[in-house]
Amino acid sequence: MTARTLLGACAFILITGSVVAEAQDNSMPMNFITENEWQAYADAFIRDDGRVVDTANGDISHSEGQGYGLLLAVLAQDRAAFERIWSFTRTELMIRDDGLAAWRWDPNATPHITDINNATDGDILIAYALALAGSAWGSSENLRDAAQIARTVGNSMLAPAGDLTVILPGSEGFSAAAREDGPVVNPSYWVFEAFPVLADLTPEIDWMEVHDDGLALLEMLTADGEVPADWVALGTTPPAPAPAEGFPPEFGYNNVRLPLYLVRAGLEDTRLLERMGVIFDSDLAPARIDVTTGERLEPMDEAGYRLIGAARACVLEGTPIPPELQQFEVASYYGSTLQLLSLSFLRQRHNRCLTDEGSEVQR
Amino acid sequence: MSGRRPIPSAVLISLLALTVAWPASAREARESAMPDMLVAQAQTPGTPSALAAQTVDETALRYFARQGDARRVEAEIARLRTLYPDWEPPENLLGNDYTADPLIERIWELYGAGDFAGARAAIAEKQAAEPNWQPTEDMERSLQLGEAAVRMRNASDSEQYNAVVTVAANMPDLLTCTNVDLLWRLAEAFIETDNLQRGIDAYTYVLNNCDDADDRLATVQQASERLESEELAELLALERMNPDGTGEFQALRLDLARNAILSVLSGQSSRAPAEDVRRLEASARSTRNPDDLRLLGWYALNQHRPSEGLEWFEQAMEEDPSALSVNGLGVALLDLRRPDEAEEVLSRYEGETEELTALYLSAAAATLAQMPRVELEPEVLERIVALAYLNQHVTTAQELGWYALNFNQPQTAIAWFDTALEWDANNEPSAYGIVVASDQLDDQERIAEIKAQWSGRSQRIANFGTSAGQTTPAPAPAATTAQAEPAPAEPQRQTTTPPAARTEPAITMVATTERSSAAIAPASTSITVSYQGCSTYVPPANFSPAQALNRAWCLMDLLRPSEAAEAFARALQSSSTATRSDAAYGQALAYVRMGLAEHAAVAAAAAPQPRDRVVELQTAILTLTATASYNAGDYRRALMALDERSLYAPERNDLLVLRAWCYYHLRRYVEAEQIFSAVAATGYGEAIEGMYAARSALGR
Repeated sequence: MTARTLLGACAFILITGSVVAEAQDNSMPMNFITENEWQAYADAFIRDDGRVVDTANGDISHSEGQGYGLLLAVLAQDRAAFERIWSFTRTELMIRDDGLAAWRWDPNATPHITDINNATDGDILIAYALALAGSAWGSSENLRDAAQIARTVGNSMLAPAGDLTVILPGSEGFSAAAREDGPVVNPSYWVFEAFPVLADLTPEIDWMEVHDDGLALLEMLTADGEVPADWVALGTTPPAPAPAEGFPPEFGYNNVRLPLYLVRAGLEDTRLLERMGVIFDSDLAPARIDVTTGERLEPMDEAGYRLIGAARACVLEGTPIPPELQQFEVASYYGSTLQLLSLSFLRQRHNRCLTDEGSEVQR
Repeated sequence: MSGRRPIPSAVLISLLALTVAWPASAREARESAMPDMLVAQAQTPGTPSALAAQTVDETALRYFARQGDARRVEAEIARLRTLYPDWEPPENLLGNDYTADPLIERIWELYGAGDFAGARAAIAEKQAAEPNWQPTEDMERSLQLGEAAVRMRNASDSEQYNAVVTVAANMPDLLTCTNVDLLWRLAEAFIETDNLQRGIDAYTYVLNNCDDADDRLATVQQASERLESEELAELLALERMNPDGTGEFQALRLDLARNAILSVLSGQSSRAPAEDVRRLEASARSTRNPDDLRLLGWYALNQHRPSEGLEWFEQAMEEDPSALSVNGLGVALLDLRRPDEAEEVLSRYEGETEELTALYLSAAAATLAQMPRVELEPEVLERIVALAYLNQHVTTAQELGWYALNFNQPQTAIAWFDTALEWDANNEPSAYGIVVASDQLDDQERIAEIKAQWSGRSQRIANFGTSAGQTTPAPAPAATTAQAEPAPAEPQRQTTTPPAARTEPAITMVATTERSSAAIAPASTSITVSYQGCSTYVPPANFSPAQALNRAWCLMDLLRPSEAAEAFARALQSSSTATRSDAAYGQALAYVRMGLAEHAAVAAAAAPQPRDRVVELQTAILTLTATASYNAGDYRRALMALDERSLYAPERNDLLVLRAWCYYHLRRYVEAEQIFSAVAATGYGEAIEGMYAARSALGR
């Protein structure tokens, strides 16, 4: 146990500390994702050509999935898988004129890119994973590529909304110029743990402002016990967030990541994490929620989603995490991804939430 | 050493270096990432100083040699020689002096299979096993090149042209004759990003440096889709001669000639360059390709050289005696004012298509209306009558009336005029004909009746028999007993038809000794007004779009589709959506008549159409495509067209038989036999031959 805690502290330095300094250290202390877990995940979702497959969505791939695949490969210390996924990402998705990743790749379409628009959370996840890999394995090329993506996102995907600096979800169709109710944002595109890392890579961009304004946005969206919609319009002056036109006024599979992103970024003592309690049922499952009525439309009961609720409860209240949520079983691509991200977080920072009988992979 | 050309010329690379438009934010990163590659490459192509001093990595060469992959061995030797000019390949690539590293072999194997992701993973695995091992620069560079090529193709496919130029600028080694498609993609990207001259330079580079005949032809074909003809001429000037003395770009030059002629037929230009016409003419004379022969025929008609048009269509008939050929032949004969010949030749194909029936009837009417009047053979008159009746063709009925009147058979004439009016109550010339014929019979009652009906609508009927109408001549009696009688339906006014003259539905035609053409001429002029209305060529630009639309339909009625297409093109310039829609519809129909399926498809897409028209056009276009593809031996395409057609209309027996023959030629005998048998079972005789052919192929 002691060893685990110590090693967890090392990882924390890796994530929030100076990546360039870490780049000199080639050794990554331990796996926060077990070999069995990673093997099961890779077998289910990563093809030989490095494509991360969203099995629940017609086996398409997207920049977000590639970003998660890269991040998990770093956390699992599997450089071969990382190289595989990165090769696909670079050659198949990062073909836009601005160098960012096209968001949607369909195996049944020609050309495979069916929407050339980017998805900024995908770009951020890719840059973040590249930066971690560059540090972990001493690859200056990975750091250089991470910086280039971060710079392009910083220069073209940030926009003002009142006093806030917000992340545009894509280059086309979300800005104040493109929509009457624009800018439209997606709160879950703030990958809070990534911003300090990007700030080190591209100091000319004020990533910490993005970080802080993201938290301010969440404060607004969760005030008075409200549930934040996945797609929020900020077009009014001053910004009065409202569900965006053309999207269901729902909390759903996007924002379910919010508590996970908060705790992974070390933002455990904010009021925000407390307020996120409204998302979860008594059995820890989040749900799709109509934000206008509060009606719970459909529970998200895969272990990957419930583990987010369990992690939140343990972080805030020390509630032990049910053993079945600690066991990784391959489910949907998305749920499985979130479960591994949650498990790796808990092993790094809240190992006491986990019991010994958990953490056994099942296929 | 074929194919693998060294690094492209310094000129092209420096062009690349100058033209890349880096986003300001990316510039710094690029410069630090790619410090001197562009400069070094541009100055001393093929000898990057960083690589020169190193040991040559022969692992890939040895691997491909052991795989027995001669092509890759050759390419690898060429590549290494480019990088290391002083290097010589080992004499024995399979010698025992070399021990293969299985992990390195694995990396090259994956690389050779284009699995760059796998190769990257294999490198990482080897590094994990041997922390001190590093891939050679050569291996790293090979992978970078392979990935850059994939990236460039993907960016190009997604029309990310700046990305295409950027990748090429970072990896100019990609731009070799072995990757000729990347040079094409770069050229396209330059052109799409308004760097036309650099696009031309990229095509020029291929033609100056690459030897593969297919690649060279494909290069000018690609260029022809993106460049104006003067720009293309520069490239075509780089043509090499085949051993037989023909130029290597002959096929493209012919396509360009066809396109030049088609653009005239579609109203986009008024004349094709003489050189193009001569080229296609020379080719058509030697290949006897019926499509080309017909194309030249339509072009000659469009250029008002009907004699020449006739010759081309006659040749087309020799090669391909089909509805398409006879259609042109008929139009040419009509243009030459030889309607009786048109009537004769068309009679043999009448009914094959709706167009041919309409053309036949048009020829029949013109045959009857010839001035001076020509006495027709009984069997000719017989078939004209039969088909006029079958199709209820107003103009032919009316012409039969004038014809009878001309040969002094006023009762018969009246019967025909009545018939014409029965089919079209607004046919003024027939009403006028009744007045003229009734005057000959001194049937004042009938004259008064017609006048009462028509005076408000027709000045000449109102004036008939008055001083104002004195210029209207009465037909002179002719010494003839000819009778042209409508049959088999009962004429409305049987009383005006001499019962004694009635015979079988056929026509009896006796001698004609005198003609009275002069007498009937004025009326004849007026009755052929619909024919004359658009038969004189006037450039469509002289009409407003709306006028052009009317004229185009008139030309369609005259079965002059090439001129109609031109007039429809003018109508397409209308600001009215309805006019444009009608024009696009009409133009598509015109192309269908000319047998130009692709043009028809393009025309049909020029303006939105109501659903029923879409169905009609698609059915016609796809039928044509299927038939043409079949005739060209492209059975797969024919099947595709039939499949698509079946979405719009049920498959007729003749097309089912066509489908079955497609299967037959594709050696899908079981399917062929099933269809042939099924169609034959419906009593469709033409399926029987196929059924036996398919059964024989199946050994049944």
